[in-house]
Amino acid sequence: MSEFSNSLSVISSALQAQSQRLRHLSENIANVDTPGYRRKTIAFHTVMHGSETPGMVETGRVRLDQSDLLQIYDPTHPMADEAGNYEGSNVNLMIELSDAREAQRSYEANLRMFEQTRQMGSSLFDLLRR
Amino acid sequence: MDIQAIGAAKKYASARSATEPAPSQSAGDYLKGITRDFAATLQETEETAKAAMTSGADPHTLVQALAQTEMAVEAAVTVRDRVVEAYQEILRMPV
Repeated sequence: MSEFSNSLSVISSALQAQSQRLRHLSENIANVDTPGYRRKTIAFHTVMHGSETPGMVETGRVRLDQSDLLQIYDPTHPMADEAGNYEGSNVNLMIELSDAREAQRSYEANLRMFEQTRQMGSSLFDLLRR
Repeated sequence: MDIQAIGAAKKYASARSATEPAPSQSAGDYLKGITRDFAATLQETEETAKAAMTSGADPHTLVQALAQTEMAVEAAVTVRDRVVEAYQEILRMPV
């Protein structure tokens, strides 16, 4: 197919990847108070399959952040150890929110590219009209 | 003089094969291919739309397929308009 529809496929894959990123971020934010929860991160990489359009992006495997879990002092908690601490999650709301904002910005940029591609396609055909 | 004329004719004959139009598929085959592509695009979009309505497929794929179909239909309509216009132009020719 034409380059226009190729770029539409690439943009659509990027939109999909960003929405997947947002989904994992919302999982992290939802589980901020879950004891022992490790925040999830995903990596983006270019699709390397022969049949696909070159340059498409996809999300890789989900990884768990291995940084230390937050120690919360609460002796009445059922999971508290001898010292009265229990392990919370290692989600930092500030990081998650700024990551979500970044995902939103990337999504918007890709939407603009989609619009741009469509406009270029239709103005090309406008040349033939009178 | 005669020899020169024969040489020129020979040169012309040998050069002719290089200037011949390359054998290509006829316009009919070409149009057939384009129409088949067009129909395939439409069908793909229909399948995607059906999947999005019934089984909740990814909306990004649906939007992409619809945009691609829109472009294909626009191209087809533009070409049709030009062909019809040319035909009418011929019909308006004073005989």
